[in-house]
Amino acid sequence: MADLREGEARAAAGAPSGRPAGSGRVVVSGMGAVSAAGIGAQELWRAARDGASQVRELRTEIPYDGRIKIAAQVPLYEPSAHIEAAVLPFCDPFTQYAVIAADEAMAQAGLGRDDIAGPRTAVIIGTGIGGMTTVDRGLYRYYVQSIRPEPLTVPRIIPSTAATTLGMRYSCLGPTFAIGSACASASQSIGLGLQMIRFGLADRAIVGGSEACVVNGCMRAWEALRVLTPDFCRPFSKGRNGMSLGEGAAVFILETLESALARGHAPLCELVGYGTSSDAKDPVRPDVAGASSAIALALADAGMSPGDIHYVNAHGTATHANDMTESEAIIAVFGDEHGRAVPVSSTKPVHGHALGAGGGLELSITISALREQIAPPTINFLEADPRCPIDAVPNVARKISIKAAMSNSFAFGGINAVLIVRALDHDD
Amino acid sequence: MTDNPQDKAKLVDEITEVIASEGMIDRAKVTPDATIESLDLKSVDIVMILTALEEKFNVYIPMDGSLQEAKDVKSLIEAIAEHITKEREKS
Repeated sequence: MADLREGEARAAAGAPSGRPAGSGRVVVSGMGAVSAAGIGAQELWRAARDGASQVRELRTEIPYDGRIKIAAQVPLYEPSAHIEAAVLPFCDPFTQYAVIAADEAMAQAGLGRDDIAGPRTAVIIGTGIGGMTTVDRGLYRYYVQSIRPEPLTVPRIIPSTAATTLGMRYSCLGPTFAIGSACASASQSIGLGLQMIRFGLADRAIVGGSEACVVNGCMRAWEALRVLTPDFCRPFSKGRNGMSLGEGAAVFILETLESALARGHAPLCELVGYGTSSDAKDPVRPDVAGASSAIALALADAGMSPGDIHYVNAHGTATHANDMTESEAIIAVFGDEHGRAVPVSSTKPVHGHALGAGGGLELSITISALREQIAPPTINFLEADPRCPIDAVPNVARKISIKAAMSNSFAFGGINAVLIVRALDHDD
Repeated sequence: MTDNPQDKAKLVDEITEVIASEGMIDRAKVTPDATIESLDLKSVDIVMILTALEEKFNVYIPMDGSLQEAKDVKSLIEAIAEHITKEREKS
């Protein structure tokens, strides 16, 4: 792994940071996911491609008195099979998911535990909330049961714990932090990792998002906002009435194309564009101008025109407002013809809205769509809504030619983040 | 039960009362033909109205779906009444 140590030598020698040597192209060398489809990016892709909804009857430790009794929860698994006994007590489920997804991503990238150790590896893991399960259980114990909080409550709930736990796991000494941008957290983390490598602030980055908040208090809070569907999540469809809550994590290993090739690793794809913007308007209502600007910025960053994008994985929450706004934004940037023709699907009815992990799970699906040349479907679709005049790939996956694909994330508070991935040519 | 005109009128009256109190609007302005825009009802007001209706009628009404089609008070009340009636029929 001598080639990977080059940056450390540079850093140790006090060399100034600057643009990286080579083309500045950044690739995804590996990815991992934990979702309602279980452990593994392939499991998630299979569910998305086959339109197999993972929204199930809600499972809670404490009986739930709310009205929405469905969610896309990570199936039960044995944490000790994945995480060492000395580390596990510090891991809220959101950290566990991140660790499991990261181990998968590292293995796929062909990297062992110590292979990217040192100051030139950044770790950025987004989360909407952080250790919500620990908060929920802790408050129940304290207020209801009058039992003292768990001794490790503080380190478990901190939103940056997923990032720091991964840093300790792989001995990464570079910039390490969490991004807390609600439903844009994962996409912004991935985008910022791309920028840091491009601008020479790191040689590689472990990026992604994690969320585990399908617990009583959080479910009740989402219910209160009235954006949860009591039955079926139907993005872009007539009769849609809201989203289903999801959870999980997705982690990606980013490095330069040269670095991957130098060690004989074939990357999954190139991460070619990132655009982010803020509506600065309303706490919960989406905005066409904000969403459009992030899409346009991502295209400009990738040096692409709308016609180069052959598939869009939408934010597509199945709320009335998001789906109309997103359709309008896509058509505004892509133009009437390509905007209405390009396949745009929302896979949220399959894996739920995983909030701070959402953009990560969806990028993982987008990369698989690119690699398998299949647009996954928008399931539960009843009938086209004239106010969402896009091709939502209703109900059935479609074999198409995809050279580049886009993934959209639009958050409460008006934060927008858009990522673009491109297939690597054989001559790259 | 809404087949009974008296029950229906009572339900409409109760919903109107909730819209006025939670939306912080003069009750006299909540007329059937008043548009939602003219009452300046924002999404946060609708959330508060739906929360109060849940407490009063024990029914979950999502923000999205039929409510979004409503342009005036009459159609808003009808959409809400339909949810409540359905829920009552279930129990």
